[in-house]
Amino acid sequence: MTVLRLLLWLCVVLVLWEGALRLVPGSLLVSSPLAIAGYVSNNAALLARAALETSVNAAQGFVWGNLAAIGLGTIMIVFPRSARTLSAVCLLVFCVPLIASGPILRVLFGPGTGPQIALAALAVYYTTLLTLLVGLRAVSQTWTDLMRVYGRGPMSTLIRARARASLPYLFVGLQISAPAALLGAMIGEFTGAERGLGVLTLRAMRGLDTNATWALALIAALIAMIAYGSIGWLGQRVVAYRPVILLSAPAVSVRQRPWKYLLEIGFTTAFVLILWQVSMDALDLNRFFAKRPGDVWAFLAEAQNRNTVLSALAETLSFAVPGYLAGLALGAALAALVVLSPALNRATMPVAVALRAVPIITTAPLLVLAFGRGLVGTMVVVAVMIFFPTFVACQQGLRQTPGQVVDLFRSYDAGRWHLLRAAQIPAMLPAFFASARMAVPAALLAITTVEWLATGKGIGVLMATTASTSNYNMLWSCVVILAVVAVVVYAAVAAVEHRVLRIYANEQV
Amino acid sequence: MASVDIHCDSITKRFGGTEVVIPFSVTLAAGQTTALVGPSGCGKSTILRMIAGLDTPDSGTVALGAEPPRTVARNGALAMAFQDPSLLPWRSARANIALGAELARKPVGDVDALIDLVGLGGFADHRPGELSGGMRQRVAIARSLISEPDVLLLDEPFGAVDAMTRRRLNEDLPPLWRSRGATVVLVTHSVQQAVLLSDRVLVLSPRPARVVADIPIALTGTRDSKLVQTAEFAALSKEIFAVLEDSI
Ligand SMILES: Nc1ncnc2c1ncn2[C@@H]1O[C@H](COP(=O)(O)OP(=O)(O)OP(=O)(O)O)[C@@H](O)[C@H]1O
Ligand SMILES: [Mg+2]
Repeated sequence: MTVLRLLLWLCVVLVLWEGALRLVPGSLLVSSPLAIAGYVSNNAALLARAALETSVNAAQGFVWGNLAAIGLGTIMIVFPRSARTLSAVCLLVFCVPLIASGPILRVLFGPGTGPQIALAALAVYYTTLLTLLVGLRAVSQTWTDLMRVYGRGPMSTLIRARARASLPYLFVGLQISAPAALLGAMIGEFTGAERGLGVLTLRAMRGLDTNATWALALIAALIAMIAYGSIGWLGQRVVAYRPVILLSAPAVSVRQRPWKYLLEIGFTTAFVLILWQVSMDALDLNRFFAKRPGDVWAFLAEAQNRNTVLSALAETLSFAVPGYLAGLALGAALAALVVLSPALNRATMPVAVALRAVPIITTAPLLVLAFGRGLVGTMVVVAVMIFFPTFVACQQGLRQTPGQVVDLFRSYDAGRWHLLRAAQIPAMLPAFFASARMAVPAALLAITTVEWLATGKGIGVLMATTASTSNYNMLWSCVVILAVVAVVVYAAVAAVEHRVLRIYANEQV
Repeated sequence: MASVDIHCDSITKRFGGTEVVIPFSVTLAAGQTTALVGPSGCGKSTILRMIAGLDTPDSGTVALGAEPPRTVARNGALAMAFQDPSLLPWRSARANIALGAELARKPVGDVDALIDLVGLGGFADHRPGELSGGMRQRVAIARSLISEPDVLLLDEPFGAVDAMTRRRLNEDLPPLWRSRGATVVLVTHSVQQAVLLSDRVLVLSPRPARVVADIPIALTGTRDSKLVQTAEFAALSKEIFAVLEDSI
């Protein structure tokens, strides 16, 4: 039934789309459905090969990334003392934009499929880890008591209770990570692969081939939606219910003493630096391209280098910050507006859920085509990248308003606007801030990707050119700087979140 | 079957600023059933948890036989039915009951006989979500019985069970653990159930818990619903009620 209705809608959209382009001919920016179909049928074999290549890489990365997530989650549960440091390191790794780790992996792995697979894995492990941990920790005290009555320890609870209890959560994580894996693989292909949808996208962009760009974006979206849908279907078969999950790392607890907090940051930083140095040394990687912390330090110590990196960063941030704020504001505002009209709310919910299946970065080339390579185009890409997840999260958050509270307002015949202001928006805030935090790495990914692909500005292009000039010191320095920026902004958002939630959502802090 | 007695030697427990248990000493003879009765919130569950080794006393010791509770637990000789059933929602009733044997590292015996005994015939393959509150509680009781423990701790086991079923369980279950020589501690709010099922009733004061009466139940004859009508039974019940009322 719903499938039929969806198909009907699809037909209507296609006809309108085609019709509109017939009325306004000569548009360079938008292709008509027939033109796209024509491109696809003329290049069917090429596109099929590329799609297969990308899907296989994405699938491999999906498996590795999720296995890593399951392993990490298990370690954090069995050794709770390791959890804080491990999750800080995971967050740090997650904060490095894929487009920044891409060139480094390319240098380390060479021209094969390694970087694509590694990036796909990097794109998925964190979201799966977060959802899985929620599930693994959602074990009631009475179950642990039950195990202990029989003299059984944490392992028994893990095997008999936690593993099974976390399964619904794991499936949510797997489902969300399917489009992410495709995105990771495509970004890996942007950084210099030989085959795949990403390579074709790059070529289409450079050749200003509108039909090809559209066709590739639609194919990528289709693959992602199929993967998303089939994992969802599988999940429904295996576990009956779907938990509602706010996708975010647990808010930083600021309740502890400041010096302890600083100590923890110092400890994590030292841990990462040592890991970096030791892993490079242990694998005996060539110092020419596998730079160590000391090399980056020495490079950035020179004023000229530092100025190059920092001015590129300033340029990048001047685009990214407005885009980030616009995306967040629009996402939250639209969710709040939509909730005012129950009919609209019901109608947009499935659309919002479907949008989770689309790796939004694949639309970046289209947006650049439509809005140009300047300030507007760049900002729009960043904003769109953040808008959709924020909208979905806020809509979910609004639904978390306790039923009794809504009933209370109804019993006084209070207006919808009043209800929204006094009850629903406060209830939405935790979800809003969760997505604001997760949007920090997303915004950096979006901006560096457009810079790399299209605009030729900022730190993204600095990385793109250093890869060809073999200035690996510059490349590594850019990556380090981006990671530091991401973590600092993330922490700043978390601090604001803490202050606001302490007032509006006391029980959540 | 090993018979294990329970020694509590001046155990105390406080949560934050509130004393819940003040020096509490008692020896429960092996193979006997002891009921703990007392007002809500007086510390019965806390005492039971300390006997199970789930909570450690702030001072004093608990010994089951000559061993600390954790050792007995590791040998699979301990079982407890909690105040709330705490079943695993993805397991059927049968599998939840079998879990008791699994965790105690004992062969899973005749689950179906036990299922019939607690009156869940026909519901063996239902998940907890498809059972009523009272049915879930009976699954939890069966789970505690399947491992044939030497020490059995029951925290208000029949709280949510309807009156008719409770009456039947009161008659059918005790012979099971008595025949195995298990030492049983039963927390209950029902004075009648305490008298009917046990060899000894300890009446506790409001928090902090203190034994205000230690009443042996020396009833002859089979313990069934006919016993309730005897004068002996009525006298004992009355005595316990009187102590309970005095202590409040
Ligand atoms: N983990 C805990 N933290 C703080 N206080 C607790 C804790 N566990 C129990 N208490 C307090 O200890 C007191 C005794 O609790 P306990 O559960 O032992 O009572 P009880 O006699 O079993 O009551 P009921 O008959 O209602 O089950 C209560 O006042 C309770 O508030
Ligand atoms: Mg209790």
